[in-house]
Amino acid sequence: MSGVTLNNVIKRYGDVQVIHGIDLQIEDGEFCVFVGPSGCGKSTLMRMVAGLEETTEGEIHIGSRDVTRVDPAQRGVAMVFQTYALYPHMTVKENMGFGLKMNGHPRDEIKSKVAEASRILKLDDYLDRKPAALSGGQRQRVAIGRAIVRGPDVFLFDEPLSNLDAELRVEMRVEIARLHKEIGATMIYVTHDQVEAMTLADKIVVLKFGRIEQVGAPLDLYRDPDNKFVAGFIGSPAMNFVRGTVRGVAVEVPAFAGTVRPDVALPAEGMEVIVGLRPEHAELDPSGDTFRVELTEALGGVSYAYLTAKTGETLIFEERGDRRSRPGDTVSLNYEPRRLYVFDAESERRIR
Amino acid sequence: MQNPRKPASRLSQTQAAWILLAPFLFTYGLFLIYPFFRGFWISLHDWNLLAVAFNPDAKQFVGLRNYERVMWGRNIEWGPLAAPFWQLLGIAGLAVSVLLRGTKRLSRFNAIALGVASVLVIILPGFHPGEEGRWYDRRFWPTVANTIVFVGLAVPGVTISALLLAAALNRETRAMGALRTLFFLSQVLSVTVVTLIWQIMFSPRQGLIANITETFGGTPINWLTDEQFAMAAIVIATIWWSLGIAMILFLAGLQDISKDIYEAAALDNAKGARAFWYVTLPNLKRTVTLVVVLQIILHFQVFGQSHLMTQGGPNDTTQVLVRYIYQTGFRDSELGRASAMAVFLFVIMGTFSVIQFIVGREKT
Repeated sequence: MSGVTLNNVIKRYGDVQVIHGIDLQIEDGEFCVFVGPSGCGKSTLMRMVAGLEETTEGEIHIGSRDVTRVDPAQRGVAMVFQTYALYPHMTVKENMGFGLKMNGHPRDEIKSKVAEASRILKLDDYLDRKPAALSGGQRQRVAIGRAIVRGPDVFLFDEPLSNLDAELRVEMRVEIARLHKEIGATMIYVTHDQVEAMTLADKIVVLKFGRIEQVGAPLDLYRDPDNKFVAGFIGSPAMNFVRGTVRGVAVEVPAFAGTVRPDVALPAEGMEVIVGLRPEHAELDPSGDTFRVELTEALGGVSYAYLTAKTGETLIFEERGDRRSRPGDTVSLNYEPRRLYVFDAESERRIR
Repeated sequence: MQNPRKPASRLSQTQAAWILLAPFLFTYGLFLIYPFFRGFWISLHDWNLLAVAFNPDAKQFVGLRNYERVMWGRNIEWGPLAAPFWQLLGIAGLAVSVLLRGTKRLSRFNAIALGVASVLVIILPGFHPGEEGRWYDRRFWPTVANTIVFVGLAVPGVTISALLLAAALNRETRAMGALRTLFFLSQVLSVTVVTLIWQIMFSPRQGLIANITETFGGTPINWLTDEQFAMAAIVIATIWWSLGIAMILFLAGLQDISKDIYEAAALDNAKGARAFWYVTLPNLKRTVTLVVVLQIILHFQVFGQSHLMTQGGPNDTTQVLVRYIYQTGFRDSELGRASAMAVFLFVIMGTFSVIQFIVGREKT
């Protein structure tokens, strides 16, 4: 088993550059999630690790081996595809054993490894079925089984759960986490779903337009985002952002109809900034009239209130407990100033 | 005066269906069903084309005698070793089908198909004229054999070359698109043009093949008049001619196979030829069956190539069934016997159509 190192990795399609020099260290046994909006290059980057996309520049190491120009089959990686990519003409058993068969392993060894994988994934009853006779979740398990059987150094998951329904997705998410604990191999996981990223990852890599925005443990990214993009991407519902202007040691925020005093080193007087506040970090005060409640979504344990400020900016806040606001109410906010995040309006970098 | 509107009379769905189907059913009946039964009716008569044309009563009902005249003979015997090669092959085929079915490596349908074919190969070549005996029509069975040989060479030839071409051209570049069109182009030529082109190609004097042979110091083969090469020449021209449709069908089948599967195969160490064998071919199984059966049905009807390139010769080696039917019916005016042969041909092709139908319904 071994970690993965990316060294100034670049991908170009003709003149179009999609990956802009990525440096990344994934430790041995780590569960690393690539996350970002569609088109950010996360799948491309993983496919470069797999060898399915050629690396234009830079180096990829798996363990101590430079695999940049190595054939996909020789890299010691196994991949689980979003579409499962099972061989439709083979049974579950044959699907899982195909890689070993192609690499010339003896029949007994294939049999025992397939048996072991199907035990881990509870696929014993389906071994002689063809993929067409399986449900989505079972197919996904077979795809994972196919990866396990090959005993790779690195597992690659390319949005493996996006074709499943919501309930099954939660179930498989837990199963993948369990699998990682049981096998302990290095895993790279691509998703656009930040819940999957938060729950599964040891390390999250947030990507945007082929560049790394931030790398870190899930809670570190949540608590301490480097920039507005990461702040908005991690956490659900997303962080609220409103415009503000620096006035001495305070920030004037028109949407809040007043000034706030965040606990940060503010830039010079008159600078434009963006102030961020997470939906879960404030309480609605029904005696105020700063915001109008446009809409509420009651999910049971929690409700989300959609507020409009007099400036037209909209915000979302969470409400718990018995007293919840209704559309048409007017409210103001109670929050601790240390919960406020401030970003430079132009570079969108965090001001700490 | 008021004209009260009548409630629009409405057709039921069934009535509408019949009305919409009627033109098709009428045409189908007139041009396919009726001629078919008419042909069968003619095959039961001693029916001279010219005589009946001038006097409709000049035909005579003879029952199945035309079939006997064509397919049977005097003192026909059956021997288990009359044609040892074919009969042993049949026994081997039978053994293989039983063996593979026993070990479950062959589906039941395929096992039965192979078994039936093997039994036919054991039985049919066993018939031969005994002492003092002879076939009533000495040319019929050799003609059937020639046709089968032609089909046996042309169908695998077309299928394999079309499959390889399709696999090679299955890429989305402009050059590949142009090449696909180019390879398909031969399909739209008429048989006269195709045979003309290939007669020139095969010409021992100025033909391309002769030129190439001479460049390498060989003696040019007289393809079309050499008993050993005439059939091969016709098969080659046919393969070139009918490649296009098969290639298009294979391309369609190939594009149905998702790209992900090839990527998974690449990670599983199956690329190039191995990916083709383990991934492409099994997924193309239905398309291959379709192409093979379509080609069999098509090539049993071979006529133009033989008629225009070799005139059935040399020494009847390229005489094929449809050409023989044509000659019997329109040169010798023996319409009754020609129709009997046509019914025989229909049975063969009908069998393959049924196979195609059954295989098409089988689940993968």
